[in-house]
Amino acid sequence: MTPTEALQAWLALEHEAVWLYPVVGARVDSLVKTARTSFAAHRDTRDSLVGRLRSRGTSPAAAALGYDVGPLTNADQARAAAQSLEARISAALLTLAGVAEDDLRAYAVRALRTSALAEQTWGAAPRAFPGLP
Amino acid sequence: MTRRALIGTGAVVVGAGGLLVAAEATGRLDDVADAVGIDPKPQPDPDDTRVLRRAARATAELQAAVAATSAGHPGLDLAAVTAAVGEQLAALGGAEAPAGAAPPADQGAAVDALAQALDIACKDRARDAVTAGSPALVRVLAAMSAGHAQSARVVRSLR
Repeated sequence: MTPTEALQAWLALEHEAVWLYPVVGARVDSLVKTARTSFAAHRDTRDSLVGRLRSRGTSPAAAALGYDVGPLTNADQARAAAQSLEARISAALLTLAGVAEDDLRAYAVRALRTSALAEQTWGAAPRAFPGLP
Repeated sequence: MTRRALIGTGAVVVGAGGLLVAAEATGRLDDVADAVGIDPKPQPDPDDTRVLRRAARATAELQAAVAATSAGHPGLDLAAVTAAVGEQLAALGGAEAPAGAAPPADQGAAVDALAQALDIACKDRARDAVTAGSPALVRVLAAMSAGHAQSARVVRSLR
């Protein structure tokens, strides 16, 4: 995998996050504030990634119309969907860290720390190696 | 996908700390490589070997700090942090930790001290990940750094 491909894989997940968190906030009252914060963070990351890919002369991956994240009718389901997504982002970032160099690698390492903490925010237990299955 | 599959070379690198340190100590690198199926035999990057040793030593010190804090303040639930740091140290092949200072007698101060130690480890492993040569080692160190950040948050939640 090239760094650009790894960035595109990460961007695809950020698109999913930007779709997911408004749905969570709309359906689960108790999670509105957390979902709003997560949405804003992922929207900013998505926009940053779009810029990075364009600066590489690459067309950024487009968002899907919708995503299959399972049922989202209560807080437990919403937390599970969020944890799953953040964990997939962590895995994508670990892939990027491994193929990138210099500033891009440092960016991936910082973002991995952020996504690992986001996993926790949504209720995941701490792990020795976030990003590894 | 298993952890072994994810990091590709591998399983190899998570076992890697142990592999490299043990191999260097015993001069049996080829035997160790055979045991994990590496072919051709690796010639560890000396810089990566140094990074691994430093990470293992620092993680052993962290483990000692967690254990001392847990012993000094049995009311603190550090089980998850103990497990995470123990898994990290095992993946790096283990190391001896020098005797560390006792944690502060005040529980709040002990929590702060341990959280700060985890913050430092998080930053150090992130820096190591950025400078490491082997992509698999980069991933292990980056994941460790993120794991330390999670552990620091757990510790701070005990304040």
